[in-house]
Amino acid sequence: MLTYRRSLNCARSFGKFVVCSWKELVSVVFQVTANGVGLLDPGSETNSVEQGAKIDVTFWLAQELYLREAASINLPMHFNQKTRKEVQADPECVDLRSRCPYFYELGYKIAPMVADKELGTFISLTFNGRYKEILSKSHGAAFAAVPKFLPRLTKEETNLYEAARNSMIAFKEWRLGVSRLEGASVLGRKRKPIIEREEEGPMLKKLYNGENVPISIFTGELLQDPYAIS
Amino acid sequence: MQIRNHFPPLHQNIRAPHLQFLNPRFCSMAGQSDPHVSLFSPAEIEFFAEDEMVDIVPNLRVEALNMICGDYGPFTPQIPAKVPLWLAVALKKRGKCAIRPPEWMSVERLTQVLEAERDSSREFQPLPFHYVEITKLLFHFAQDDIPDMYLVKSMVEDIRDVRFHKVELGLETFTNRTQAVKLKNLSAMEANIIRPFSVRALQAFYKHDIPDVASQTAATVNRPSMADRGPRRTLRPR
Repeated sequence: MLTYRRSLNCARSFGKFVVCSWKELVSVVFQVTANGVGLLDPGSETNSVEQGAKIDVTFWLAQELYLREAASINLPMHFNQKTRKEVQADPECVDLRSRCPYFYELGYKIAPMVADKELGTFISLTFNGRYKEILSKSHGAAFAAVPKFLPRLTKEETNLYEAARNSMIAFKEWRLGVSRLEGASVLGRKRKPIIEREEEGPMLKKLYNGENVPISIFTGELLQDPYAIS
Repeated sequence: MQIRNHFPPLHQNIRAPHLQFLNPRFCSMAGQSDPHVSLFSPAEIEFFAEDEMVDIVPNLRVEALNMICGDYGPFTPQIPAKVPLWLAVALKKRGKCAIRPPEWMSVERLTQVLEAERDSSREFQPLPFHYVEITKLLFHFAQDDIPDMYLVKSMVEDIRDVRFHKVELGLETFTNRTQAVKLKNLSAMEANIIRPFSVRALQAFYKHDIPDVASQTAATVNRPSMADRGPRRTLRPR
C-alpha cells in the first residue's frame, strides 16, 4: 500500500511560486507495482498501477515517489530540445507561459531528479537572456500600453515586472500629488442625525502621521490645527 | 520535534510580526512571496527627508519652540535660522517665514551637475541624499522664494531623468554572476524605486543558478575559489 506523507521539507519553502509549482503535472515511470492507487492510471483495469507504467502525476507526488525510489521522473516536454533551440535563437520571443507558467521553479526542482545534466545551465541561460532583454526595461515601460511581451512571461518573471512597475507608478503618483492627509474612514458614511453623532464622540480626521484630529461635524474643517504650535 | 526545528517559535511572530523579515529563513523568500517588498512608500521617504536642515528668514517674531526632538530658538524677524524642513514648511504655511533655498539648488550649481551627469556614463554626481523630496517640497510650498523657479524645476527633472537612465543601464548588467551591486551617490528616492525589483531579480538569479552535476565533477581538480567566482558587479567603476 503506497501511503503518502507530506515531507516537512516542503513546508519550509513557502513562496507562492513554490507552492503553486507543486501542482504542475510531470510524467513518471513507476518502478514498482503500487496497489490501491489505481485511479492515478486512467487505463488500468485493477485498482493498482503496474510496474513500468507511465503516468502523469502532480509534482509533489512525483517528488515523493522519486525519493522513495518508487518511480523515475521523465523530463517534462517544456524542457526538451525544441524549446532549447528556440531559446537559443531568441530568448525574448519564446512564450514560456503557455508551456509552463512556473518554468523556472519547476526546472529548478526537477534538475537534481532527472537524468539530464544540462538542465541547470539551460534554466540559467534562459533567465539571463530574458532578463537582459525584457525585464531590465520594465521600469520605464510605457504605462498606458501593456507591452506585447507580457503574455509570454512566466509567473516569476511577471512578479519581477509588476514589482518594478508598481514602484514606478507609486513614485509618479507621489510626484504629482501633494497632500499626505488621508480622508478619515468616518467620512463617507451615511449621514446620521447630529444628536446620535454627538453621542459617538467628536468626529476625527486621521492625519498621515497617524494621529487623529477632531473636525467639525457641520463643515468638516479641522477644529484643531494639525500644524499648530502653541 | 521536526516541526519545531523547521518553524520559528510562534510567540516570536506574534510579538513582533514586522521583525519576521529579519529571520534568515523568512529573508530568503521574503522578496519572492511578499507582495510588498518595497518597504517604504514615497510618502514615507518624503517624511524622512523632512529632517534635513534648511535656512529660513522669519518675518514675524516667533517665540522658542520646545519639542521632543529639540528646541528651536526664538525667531526674530530678518535673522536667518537653521530649522528642519518640516518646521520650515509649517512656518511657511502660516506665513511666518521665507525659506531660503539651499546653495545646491541654484541654477549654476545645477547646470554643472547636469553637465557632469551627461558626460559620465556610469558615475553619479554627488547630490544631497534627499534632493528629490526636498526639491518637490520647496517647489510646492516656497515657489516665491526660489529665483528662476521654472528653470530650476526643469533642470532637476532633467538631472533625475539622466540619473535614472544610468540606473536602468546598470540594471541590465545583472547576470547570475552578480554577487553585489554598488551604486555610489544614489539618492533615497531612486534607491526606493529600484529596491523591490533589484532585490527580487538578484534572488531569482541566485536561486536559478543551479550548478551542473557534470561540470561540478569535472572541475573538482581546479575548482575556482569563492573569491574569484565572478567579477563583483559595480554599476560605477572605482
